[in-house]
Amino acid sequence: MSEKELGKKWDRCLADGAIKLGTGLGLGIVFSVLFFKRHTWPISLGSGAGLGMAYANCQNDLRSHYILHRGDKVGLCMEKMNKML
Amino acid sequence: MATRIWPVMKLATKVTIAGGAVYVAYDSGLLGNSKQGAEALEKAKAVMPPAIEEWMKYFGLEAQLPTVPKIEFSPVDTWNSGVRWTISSLSEAPTKVTEYTNQGLQYLKDLTK
Repeated sequence: MSEKELGKKWDRCLADGAIKLGTGLGLGIVFSVLFFKRHTWPISLGSGAGLGMAYANCQNDLRSHYILHRGDKVGLCMEKMNKML
Repeated sequence: MATRIWPVMKLATKVTIAGGAVYVAYDSGLLGNSKQGAEALEKAKAVMPPAIEEWMKYFGLEAQLPTVPKIEFSPVDTWNSGVRWTISSLSEAPTKVTEYTNQGLQYLKDLTK
């Protein structure tokens, strides 16, 4: 992975983290006001869930470069080698 | 009859509002992958200044917001060049120290002559 690509991925991670934190916070506030009598815990739960989703997305994004997918040339080469053996 | 329906209506309204909020968040890509999240942030950034202007007009505050000055300074570039300069200085340090020591010794020898 080139440094430029890595930098872009980190930028995306931060932007996504901000968005998901805000969304979780917002939805937590909505649920807290509507259903849970303005308690704090739905807000904390929503923010935490948002951050967790952002973390998982970031992890997938950073790992995606190294994961081989079906149909790649490497996979076909391995199949040929197995047949030869 | 009405006293029985009212709590049900209240609950139904609350569920509709909460469900609508979740649907809007899902539909606008706020709960999707990293790319969708980054796009949503860019859209929000683009929409902010006109929205703020409109709200200022609505409230009658016509005073101009101070424009954010464009800063030519890029912390990322300066940090990177700073790191490069530090590491290259550290790698050249032993050679330079030897050189200066030799020069100093030579100077002292010349003084004692």
